[in-house]
Amino acid sequence: MKLAPLIILFLFVAGCQTLPVIKEPLPSEKTSLACPFPFLHKPATLIHAIEARMAGSAKSAVIGITSANPATRELSCAIMTAEGMVLFEAKESAGTLYVSRALPPFDAPAFAQNMINDIKLIFFSPEGNLQKAGFLPTGDAVCRWRSQNAAIIDVREDGNDKVEILRYSSCGKLKRQIKFSNLANNYYQNIELHARELANYSLLMNLIEVQSLPATNKNRTGKK
Amino acid sequence: MRHAKLSFLFIIGGLFLAAALMIAHAAEDSFARLRKNAAEIKTIRAAFIQTKSMKILAKPLISEGLFFFAAPDSFRWEYKKPLRSVVINHRGETKRYIFSSGKMVEDQSGGVQAMKIVLGEITSWMSGKFDQNPSFQAALKDKGEIKEIIMTPTAKNMEGMIEKIVITLSSKDKAVRTVNIIESASAQTRIDFKNTLINKPLPESIFQDVE
Repeated sequence: MKLAPLIILFLFVAGCQTLPVIKEPLPSEKTSLACPFPFLHKPATLIHAIEARMAGSAKSAVIGITSANPATRELSCAIMTAEGMVLFEAKESAGTLYVSRALPPFDAPAFAQNMINDIKLIFFSPEGNLQKAGFLPTGDAVCRWRSQNAAIIDVREDGNDKVEILRYSSCGKLKRQIKFSNLANNYYQNIELHARELANYSLLMNLIEVQSLPATNKNRTGKK
Repeated sequence: MRHAKLSFLFIIGGLFLAAALMIAHAAEDSFARLRKNAAEIKTIRAAFIQTKSMKILAKPLISEGLFFFAAPDSFRWEYKKPLRSVVINHRGETKRYIFSSGKMVEDQSGGVQAMKIVLGEITSWMSGKFDQNPSFQAALKDKGEIKEIIMTPTAKNMEGMIEKIVITLSSKDKAVRTVNIIESASAQTRIDFKNTLINKPLPESIFQDVE
């Protein structure tokens, strides 16, 4: 019977993983090291064609609309079919989530918050403390944040403008991987989101259109 | 609720079919006359532009596509851009396809069965039965240069999704101009039809081959 707590502890520890090692930059490298920034600079509305994949095959496709203000961290989002039917609509303002429409399969209790969290991960710079900045063994530049809920977020960039965001659980388990292709000098042209949940899934996002918000007509959005 | 989601698609398709019936019969304003003449429509082909307006959008989102119909119940509703997708109903089977990795693949989101449920509704519209569909209350208005059919949902499953649907057609050339699905004060889906062809031969492959 005394083995039970040890077994539980073992399983818990075994579920955790080691984070990628970040090498401190040499003094000569410090001046050239800047954290990758694929995030929105100014408010914008982005419209993407989103293909949902599970087990490697396409399941469905929808149009996703995100309107986001990085300064206030307020955002609105909607999902609709090609036919114009709005399946989901929500906004987060001052940290409060408002869901105005949620039709199946987007009506699960945790869906709205998870979706808002994913959108913030893609478009807003991480909140929390910058823990480390340096290089991976591959040579990629990387910055690591620890958020208030203890999640760990790495933003890394290889030498070819490929940027990735990785969100780990507090014990180092990879939960989200977001890849920006940076086509046409725009991070948001092609985005891949890979989610590690009970059932893994991927979202492939292709930019249809960017609409600048009225007050900020000269947005650079995600352009470099 | 998936039923409601797919109903929306069929409402668009069904309304266009029903509205197209009026092209040949616009001078005869009664719904009874529309029903009587519905049997004359054998095929329809049309291009469309869809304009989606929502509060979240700074300007409307424009989509383009093609619509095909062959009596008694075959149709193809195809969006060319911005998101390629096709819904085909033929010989009692309904399939939906999406564009993925350079080709059209079948949508596996599980909505196909629900489509069958609403086919009865479509058939009703295809038969010109605007005023006999218990899901909608229909009214016909003559507004000079245009004629207008206003359909107001009475069914519970449309509550909070559609306020009303307005179909306009030209009094002059008898052509269907628009279908406007008004979801709320700040959201609507307007479809403008053009190059409509009635009773021109359509190859069966249109309802079989997705590419």
